[in-house]
Amino acid sequence: MKVSGAYTLNVPQERAYALLQNPAILATCMPGCEALDRIAENEYAMRMKMVLASISGLFAGKVSIADPNPPSSYRLIVEGSGKIGFMKGEGVLTLSPADGGTSVAFEGHVQVGGTIASVGQRLLDTTSRMLIKRFFTKLAAEAAQAGVERIAAD
Amino acid sequence: MIPQTFEYTAPQTLEEALTLIAGGDRKILAGGMSLIPLMKLRLATPDEVVDLGRVPGLNGIAESGGVVRIGAMATHHAIETSRVTRAHCPLLAETAGHIGDVQVRNVGTIGGAVAHADPAADYPAALLALEAQVRLVSAHSDRTVAASGFFQDAFTTALDPGEIVLEVQVPVEDKSEGYSYEKVAHPASGFAVVGVAARIKKDGNRIATARIGVTGMGAHAFRALAAEKLLEDGASVSEASAVVGEGETPNSDLYASADYRLHLARVHAARALATAISRAS
Repeated sequence: MKVSGAYTLNVPQERAYALLQNPAILATCMPGCEALDRIAENEYAMRMKMVLASISGLFAGKVSIADPNPPSSYRLIVEGSGKIGFMKGEGVLTLSPADGGTSVAFEGHVQVGGTIASVGQRLLDTTSRMLIKRFFTKLAAEAAQAGVERIAAD
Repeated sequence: MIPQTFEYTAPQTLEEALTLIAGGDRKILAGGMSLIPLMKLRLATPDEVVDLGRVPGLNGIAESGGVVRIGAMATHHAIETSRVTRAHCPLLAETAGHIGDVQVRNVGTIGGAVAHADPAADYPAALLALEAQVRLVSAHSDRTVAASGFFQDAFTTALDPGEIVLEVQVPVEDKSEGYSYEKVAHPASGFAVVGVAARIKKDGNRIATARIGVTGMGAHAFRALAAEKLLEDGASVSEASAVVGEGETPNSDLYASADYRLHLARVHAARALATAISRAS
């Protein structure tokens, strides 16, 4: 399944790039993320609890960052598996300045398998889009928050 | 196909049910047409399930003061066949008849369906076209939310933790109104690939009011406002249906791509509108 989209963050590009690589920020913004621990340079172990309507499941996996090209792009690789299925995704995030903020465009593909995929095929598209939207909404809020803190610190 | 062990409670009164639900993270069982299969597949593994099936008075269908009140536990079959819904909100009755299959309609409930908020559920399209309201209660609150504000995202509604859907309130349809629900059902699941509910009120030869609800297209059902406006401004059905779904990002799955879905939505909007217009007087 292909995923793509673009969101705008109200912070300068360098700042947006840093936010998108900050494990603490990512952990708060990823829906259901319970832990994100560094295991190597640009590699993190992830544990997440997916809750969607009646469905819930624990996933354990890995998030890694490849081809970093600050502050304009990097490749994000996510994989995880749990009792109810597994997922594997890879995509490129491209950052570019957009009036007063930063536009974050992403394009990639996700593979989902196991029970969750066989039963929920018709819902994968909708729900993945919803989760990505939640991530960016939260990230935008964090970015605004971080901005305020920085002004306060200055 | 055997669920994980869970605690089961079947409260005998609404008060008891609301107190139980207020007390923590419990799953509410209405008809169980979505929850039970998920539990059997262990995709849903709730620790505690509260069954509303024994709470009396939740499945009534009655009209008073220009509003049809449908209890949350009314089954799709009851809504499809009730004399009250057939006379006062035939669009909802017609829509109920399209849900799943007869076994599902005999057990599944409107409260369960709207609380679950499947993006491809049939009711939301009709409830939006009917400008219905959903009444939500908890142990210490009682509020009414318009259908347009209730369905917020895929499987996401205005329900707060501790709240349940008590009833769905549908304004009585005028006898002169025309209505229609047109649906492309997925051959395996019966869910709407797309579904379009239309309601038309005429003033002579002109369309005075048009209401169009679309389901299955996006994360949640929506009103085709641009198409409604065009019709009310005198545009033809084909002109209006051509803008249905504009600006939406249609769902895409193995059965129907985004483009195909958009095409289906427009074709079926045109059919639903044509039928609704021919039924209006």
